[in-house]
Amino acid sequence: MTTNTLAPTSTAPGSSDVTTARLTFIGLLRSELIKLRSVRSTVWCYALVLGITIVFALLITLWVTSQSGGDLFGSGAQGTALLVSTLGVSFSQLVVCVLGVLVISGEYGTGMIRSTFTAVPRRLPALFAKVTVFGAVTFLVSIIGILIAAVLTAPLLSGADLAPDLFASDLIVPLVGAAAYLTLVGIMSLALGAIVRNSAGGIAAALGLILVVPTIVQTVAAITQSVIVGNILTFLPSSAGASLYQTGIEGSVADNGLITLDATQGGLVLIGWVVLFLAIASLLLKRRDV
Amino acid sequence: MIEAHGLTKRYGAKIAVNNIDFVARPGVVTGFLGPNGAGKSTTMRMIVGLDRPSAGSVIVNGKPYAEHAAPLRQVGALLDAKAVHTGRSARNHLLAMAATHGIGAARVKEVIAITGLESVAHKRVGGFSLGMGQRLGIATALLGDPATLILDEPVNGLDPEGVIWVRQLARHLASEGRTIFLSSHLMSEMAQTADHIIVLGRGRVIADAPVAEIIALSTGTAVRVRTPDAVRFTGLLAESGAAVTSSAPDLLEVTGLTAPRLGELAAGAGIVLHELTPSSGSLEDAYLKLTEDSVEYHAGEITEKVSL
Repeated sequence: MTTNTLAPTSTAPGSSDVTTARLTFIGLLRSELIKLRSVRSTVWCYALVLGITIVFALLITLWVTSQSGGDLFGSGAQGTALLVSTLGVSFSQLVVCVLGVLVISGEYGTGMIRSTFTAVPRRLPALFAKVTVFGAVTFLVSIIGILIAAVLTAPLLSGADLAPDLFASDLIVPLVGAAAYLTLVGIMSLALGAIVRNSAGGIAAALGLILVVPTIVQTVAAITQSVIVGNILTFLPSSAGASLYQTGIEGSVADNGLITLDATQGGLVLIGWVVLFLAIASLLLKRRDV
Repeated sequence: MIEAHGLTKRYGAKIAVNNIDFVARPGVVTGFLGPNGAGKSTTMRMIVGLDRPSAGSVIVNGKPYAEHAAPLRQVGALLDAKAVHTGRSARNHLLAMAATHGIGAARVKEVIAITGLESVAHKRVGGFSLGMGQRLGIATALLGDPATLILDEPVNGLDPEGVIWVRQLARHLASEGRTIFLSSHLMSEMAQTADHIIVLGRGRVIADAPVAEIIALSTGTAVRVRTPDAVRFTGLLAESGAAVTSSAPDLLEVTGLTAPRLGELAAGAGIVLHELTPSSGSLEDAYLKLTEDSVEYHAGEITEKVSL
């Protein structure tokens, strides 16, 4: 390219020192953070999550407070604040799922995965570093967006005699739960991306599981009135996880056998799904050639 | 040092690499030569653990690659110029790769300078030419200042200047005592770069010898004769016990007799010769001969004859 490249001077490190270099998990976390922030799709997706959460909250609040009463579904001040601040979740979860898949499928699509696994030949530490960094950043962005939404809508709701107490546990806990929900479905999508190894397929699998499967199961449950199908619906990732950002739900089993999950139970079910897909992804990652 | 023992890779019924043994030694440029599809890339991927061997093993600097505490210090690999996320800049790619081993930005700057990528370091890799991609791959391979370098078709897509640069780089790295393992399907490239050549054909090692020996293999095997009296000369040669093939009406490939003897025979019979050329004994010929045989049934025989 330039003449100075023609005469190979030493390729050994000059001022820098690489003799102490070794593979560490901290190093992998740093590497994954550099990867995450140096690709445009990531930046856009996170901006979209923030935008959706805040804009949806403001719009619905303006509409709610313009109505007489303003109380959304009769849920009171705390309930209304929770509903408006988490309204965006059903949309931003789609963005988080797509990003979760892309974080790993993008490496398979471009061949980057071969560089990654050459540097980390044991492979699983690379996957776990990816999950950790993606999970942490997604949780951070989600909670920031949700808290900004709650803080911005609070004065508007106060104007309609619905002043919320942001730090009361019946509001702050489900708000954090909403961020946890987004993080968990994101990680589940990352695992699906690692299993499918293809962006289009991974996104289809993730959105299918979050959007399409619940709709189908719900329809079947409505038609058949079957308790079993109804319970299947309850245990799907999106419906079980939704209990993380709702209040006042008590876990119960109705006389007809229909199960209701409280926030803790629903959260655990969603974690179960994440663990299941991560375990499959880990097994395949270890076994397959890249 | 790379040591392969009985290394085998099967894809279903197809055997890509068939029970190969070889050693690539430090301080030497070992050329890994073979036609496309011979199993070179598969072998290289098995060395760094990207592909799992169906049988056998390969160790690098004394251990399986994955067991090293700092893999990038042991092996720098250019396996596929497209092993980079297209949406990331060259510098960020190198920073991310370096970070895994706690290697800092100073070394990244160095390898960018060594490979001449300064002007494009901040550009997204998606827009890179094949040649720039190769340079980035080499930069990545050099990050850990590794004891062993594995370069799969490194001159692919490089301009003539870049080809010379890679050649000199490989020789220079070997002179520092590193193990250089370099693949190509171009014999001429190997002739100028490698000290030792391992020829792979259909997944088997069909030759493993110093460059000079590989050349010696093909010398004196055939003589090209051009004569307007080809029919009569062919009859004469047949009586003398030589084997003759013909690719044009006036052109004969003769094996079994030396060029001086052929000249004497022609003179004795009053036959006019327009050309009398002993086979050049070039590496290219040796290679073609070796890989041609690998398609047939002489592979085992040649391995015995050539291996050290």
